[in-house]
Amino acid sequence: MGADPVAAVTGDRPVGVAIVDDHPVVVEGVRAWLATEPRLTVLATGDDPDAVLRAAPHADVILLDLRLHGRMALDKLAELSAAGRRVVVYSEHTDPQTMLAALDAGAVAFLAKHEGREHCVETVLAAASDRPYVPPALAGAMVGDPRPDRPMLSDKEREALLLWFQSMSKASVARRMQISEHTVKQYVDRARIKYTRAGRPAATKAALLARAIEDGLVRPEEIGIYRSQATHDRPTP
Amino acid sequence: MSADLNAPAHPTDASETPNRASVSTPREPDSPAAFAAPAAVAHASDRGARIAAVAIALAWHVAIALPAVLSARAEFAAPAVVLGAWILVAVTGAVAGVRLLQGSPLPPWPLAGLLLVVDAAVFAAAGERQLFTAANWVWGTLGWFFVLAVWGRRVVGLIALLSTHALIALVAVLVHGPDPADVARYVMYVYGTFSLPVAVFVGSTVIVGLARERAAVSAAGHAMAAERDAAERGLRERRDRLALVSSAAGRVLGDLAGGQADPDDPEVQRRCMLAAARLRRLIAESDDVPDPLLHELRAAADLAERNGLPIDLVTIGTPPPLPVEVRRRLADPLTGTLADARGWARLTVVSGPDEVVVSLVTPDREGPESTGPPPGEHDDGPVQYLYERDGNIRWAQTRWRR
Repeated sequence: MGADPVAAVTGDRPVGVAIVDDHPVVVEGVRAWLATEPRLTVLATGDDPDAVLRAAPHADVILLDLRLHGRMALDKLAELSAAGRRVVVYSEHTDPQTMLAALDAGAVAFLAKHEGREHCVETVLAAASDRPYVPPALAGAMVGDPRPDRPMLSDKEREALLLWFQSMSKASVARRMQISEHTVKQYVDRARIKYTRAGRPAATKAALLARAIEDGLVRPEEIGIYRSQATHDRPTP
Repeated sequence: MSADLNAPAHPTDASETPNRASVSTPREPDSPAAFAAPAAVAHASDRGARIAAVAIALAWHVAIALPAVLSARAEFAAPAVVLGAWILVAVTGAVAGVRLLQGSPLPPWPLAGLLLVVDAAVFAAAGERQLFTAANWVWGTLGWFFVLAVWGRRVVGLIALLSTHALIALVAVLVHGPDPADVARYVMYVYGTFSLPVAVFVGSTVIVGLARERAAVSAAGHAMAAERDAAERGLRERRDRLALVSSAAGRVLGDLAGGQADPDDPEVQRRCMLAAARLRRLIAESDDVPDPLLHELRAAADLAERNGLPIDLVTIGTPPPLPVEVRRRLADPLTGTLADARGWARLTVVSGPDEVVVSLVTPDREGPESTGPPPGEHDDGPVQYLYERDGNIRWAQTRWRR
C-alpha cells in the first residue's frame, strides 16, 4: 500500500499497529492486549510519534496517547490525520470536550484507557478497515455534546448512544429498545459517521465516510457537505 | 436515639442558616428597608401639615386681609405701597406654597428677608390711623408666610423672624407717638401674631416625629413577626427532615438495639446499608454545592465504595438547577438498587438543559428484587423510573424531562 496509508487493509496480512505512549508500562500492557488477537501485530512503539512512524512507516493504525510529556498532542493528531494516518486516540482524559476535540481533529476513534482489552482490540480492528467503533465513553460524550453546531442526531440514534453509554452492553440496549443488536450498532455507527462533518476536514474522516456509504450505513445525501470531498478522497477499492 | 438522629439533621439544614443569622440581629429595624417605612409614614404625615399651613396662609391673606385693604385704601398714607406689597406677598406666597408642596421649597432666608422688607414698607405706608386695623394686613398674614418660609427647620428661626417683625412694629408704634393704649394693643397684637404660627409649626413637627416613631415601632413588630415565621418554617423543615431520617434508619437501629435484629444476618446488613445510603444522601441534599444532584450521587457512590463495591461514576454535562423533590426522585430509586449491588456498579448521569438521565447498572444475580419500585416503567410526575433485569444486568434508570 506504500504511499497511501489510508488504503483499506485487505487479505490475510495482519493489521500493523504502532503504539505511541510515554509510559513504558502502558506500552507493554497494550502490547499484551493486542498480542491476544492474531489479526493484529505491533510494529513499533515509543514516546515520539515521528520516531515511531520512521520505524514503522507502513503501520495501518496508530494508537496515540493524547498526553505526551505533559502536553496534549492535538496538533500532532491533526497533522497525522490530515496525512491520512488512522489514529486511535487512547487517553485517561475522558472529559467529553477532549474526546470531541480528538474526533474533530480527525481521530478515527477515541478509547478511554480504563475501557479495557476488548474495546481496545475492537477499536483497532474497526479502524484498520475504516469502520467506526464507538466505545461507551465516546458514546457518552456524543450524546451529551452541548455545542450549538453539533451534528443533528435522530431520536433513535441518541437513545442508542445513551443506553450504550449507560449499560455497556449492546444486547441489553437491543432488549430495551426492542430492536436487534445489529440495528443498535447501526444507530451508534450512524451517529459516529455524522461526526465526520465536525471540525476540520481530514483524509481519515473522508475514508470513514466513504466506507460507511459503501457499507450502506448512510446515504451520501444524508451527510451533505462532505459528499464532494468523499468522492475526491475515496480510496480505490 | 432521637438525639443521635437529630445530630446529622440539625447542622446540615441549609434552610436554617439565614434564620440563624437573623436571630442574632437586634430587634430594632436596622436595614434600609426597615428605615424606609417609618420615613414614608413621616413624609405622608408632614405633607398633611404642609397643606394645612399653605391653606391657612393663603386663605388668611385673601379672605381677611384683601377686603380690609380694599375698603381702607383711601385712608393709607401710601395706598399703592400697601396694595403692591399685598400683591407681591400673594404671588411670592403662592409660589413658595406650591414649591413647598412639591418638596422643593424656595431658599428660606432670601424669602424671609423679602417678607421683612415688605413688613417694614407696609408699616411705614399704612399710616398712624390704620396701624392697628385689619387693613394693616402684615399683622395677621405675615406670620403664616414666615411659617412657610422656614418650614421643616428649627423653631428658633421662626421665633427670630417673628421677633424681628415685632421690633419693626414697635418702631412704627414709637415713631407715631407712644400712647399707653397703643403699647397695650401692641403687646396684644404681638402675642396674637406669635402664638398661632408657633403653635402650628411646633405641633406639626411633633406630629411628624410621633408618626415616624409609631411607624418604626410597627415596622420592628413586622420584622419580628417575619423572623418568627421564618424560624417556625425552619423548625418545620427540620422536623420533616427528622421524620425522613427516622423512617430511613430508625427502625433498623431500633431492632438492633432491641436485639430483634442480628448484625450477622445479611438481610439486616442490607437494611443498614440502605439506611446509611439514605442518611448520607439526606445529608448531602442540604449541602450548598454547585451541583447538588451530582453531589448526592457522589455521596451514595462513596458509601457503596466504602462497603467494598467497585463503582464507576461517570457524568456528562451539568444538571440544570432542580427542585429538591425532583432530585429525590432521580436519586432515591437508585440508592435502593445500589445497596443491593454486588460485584460492580456503573452509575452514569447525562445532563442537558432540558433532560437529566441517571442510570445504575449492576450485574444481575439470583436473589430478591432490589428495594424500590417493582420492575417496569413508572411515571412519577416529571421523573420517569425504569427498572429491569435481564439475567445479565440489573438496570435502573430515572429520567427527568422539563
